[in-house]
Amino acid sequence: MEEFEESASAGKTKSIYISTVISIALVLMMTGLLGLLLVHAKNLSNYVKENIVLNIIVNESASEGDVLALQKKLDTNEKVLRTQYISKELAAINLQKDLGEDFVKFLGYNPLLSSIDVYLKAEYANNPSIDTFIKQMSENKLVKEVVYQPSLIDMVNKNIRIIGIIILGFAAILLIIAIALINNTIRLAIYSQRFLIKSMQMVGATRGFIRRPFLGYGLLHGLLGALISILLLLAILYFGQQQIPELVILRNYFEFAVIFLGVIALGIVIAGFSTFFAVSKYLRLRSNDLYR
Amino acid sequence: MIENTVITLKSVDIFQQKHLVLSNVNLKIDKGEFVFLIGQTGSGKSSLLKIIYGDLYIGNGEGMVAGFDLKKLYERDVPFLRRKLGIVFQDFHLLTDRSVEKNLEFVMRATGWKDKKLISARMLDVLEKVGLRSKLKKMPHELSGGEQQRVVIARALVNDPEIILADEPTGNLDPDTSEEIVLLLKEISRSGTAVLMATHDYQIIRNLPSRIIKTISGHLADNVQL
Repeated sequence: MEEFEESASAGKTKSIYISTVISIALVLMMTGLLGLLLVHAKNLSNYVKENIVLNIIVNESASEGDVLALQKKLDTNEKVLRTQYISKELAAINLQKDLGEDFVKFLGYNPLLSSIDVYLKAEYANNPSIDTFIKQMSENKLVKEVVYQPSLIDMVNKNIRIIGIIILGFAAILLIIAIALINNTIRLAIYSQRFLIKSMQMVGATRGFIRRPFLGYGLLHGLLGALISILLLLAILYFGQQQIPELVILRNYFEFAVIFLGVIALGIVIAGFSTFFAVSKYLRLRSNDLYR
Repeated sequence: MIENTVITLKSVDIFQQKHLVLSNVNLKIDKGEFVFLIGQTGSGKSSLLKIIYGDLYIGNGEGMVAGFDLKKLYERDVPFLRRKLGIVFQDFHLLTDRSVEKNLEFVMRATGWKDKKLISARMLDVLEKVGLRSKLKKMPHELSGGEQQRVVIARALVNDPEIILADEPTGNLDPDTSEEIVLLLKEISRSGTAVLMATHDYQIIRNLPSRIIKTISGHLADNVQL
């Protein structure tokens, strides 16, 4: 009895609530962190894919107007992210820079051809898609050839797939851990209140009436835990971007917002269900069973 | 006649898990009656009380408590049965996380009281009856054992119960305080509420001659002499 008096006293209850909120916050932070990692990995892979270049080399006979018209056409293609027209002269200047030698003077003419650099959208940056694109392009009389590195694209895609599967697997496991840990924490918190629940039943309170405030607190703790975890995640993002400025390229506020909303939903749903089931368990027990 | 009887048990067998604790229990308690329940520890006193307040289900036999048929008592009816009873425990069962005022308010809100004015009026009324009007804002742990038990009794009185069940209400109290509590219960019974009080304290019983029932070797004996 002495123990019961202690454990259910207001101070203890408060400290149990605080540790519940902190546990929820930490677990949600881990889950959210993996979500952020996933988003960053996805954006990184898109970034890499969208920087893979296809050089469309144009026939010598093509006039500049034809090439510009072709570029315009390419820009409207659904697979194309952006294009860049490299004129004969620009190509020569670039190559001169690379070689460190004025080869035009040496040869007496510019042997290079005009070309268009095409950057594809991430979802089309794979070999089959590129092959059909090249086939389409080759039918055009202006196009001499299309140059790209199939092996590079294959490697990028393969690695990205493996990393993606690993991160997703971790996310799934962590989600289960999150649910189990939060559920356990809440069950312990409710367990410490089992005699209180029994006392409430003894004075004629219905199950619904007893459950309601517990549920209210459960949802509130889920929400508070989620908000704290979001603050922690924002702090991590901030310091991450300070340490690795390149991360800013991968920043996508919409996706971050989705993750934060997901964290809030996860916190509320897990805390709500756990509280409901834990309280229901002690509502069902007879007073004798409480001491077991 | 029937309206006068608040507890009727006929040939009731009482089980704790699968153990038969008391068999063939017959008991009738009338309005305003004051009854002592005695018997050794583990002889089934608490089980008998639990049958009455719906924490144990009745096995064989019939039972009526405050108009509820124990045979047909479903889980969802139990809270409503308990609103007709006031239960007083040895270990108080106060809500230790809130003040006296909030304890009483909880009971009232849980049992359908809505009007704030009526609630505080009734609260002061029952605290007055147990002599604790000044302790409204205290937390349970700030009160002495006797005071806590008075709060429990005040809580039991809130809904004008037909029966008060007291399971060793003086078990944790000193002799003087015990006597005060029992006198309080006796006074309550005079106003028409039946009181069934389980106790080990023979001194109290001697000071306050009343009907005594006793659990002995698996049976319930009525009108026992000490």
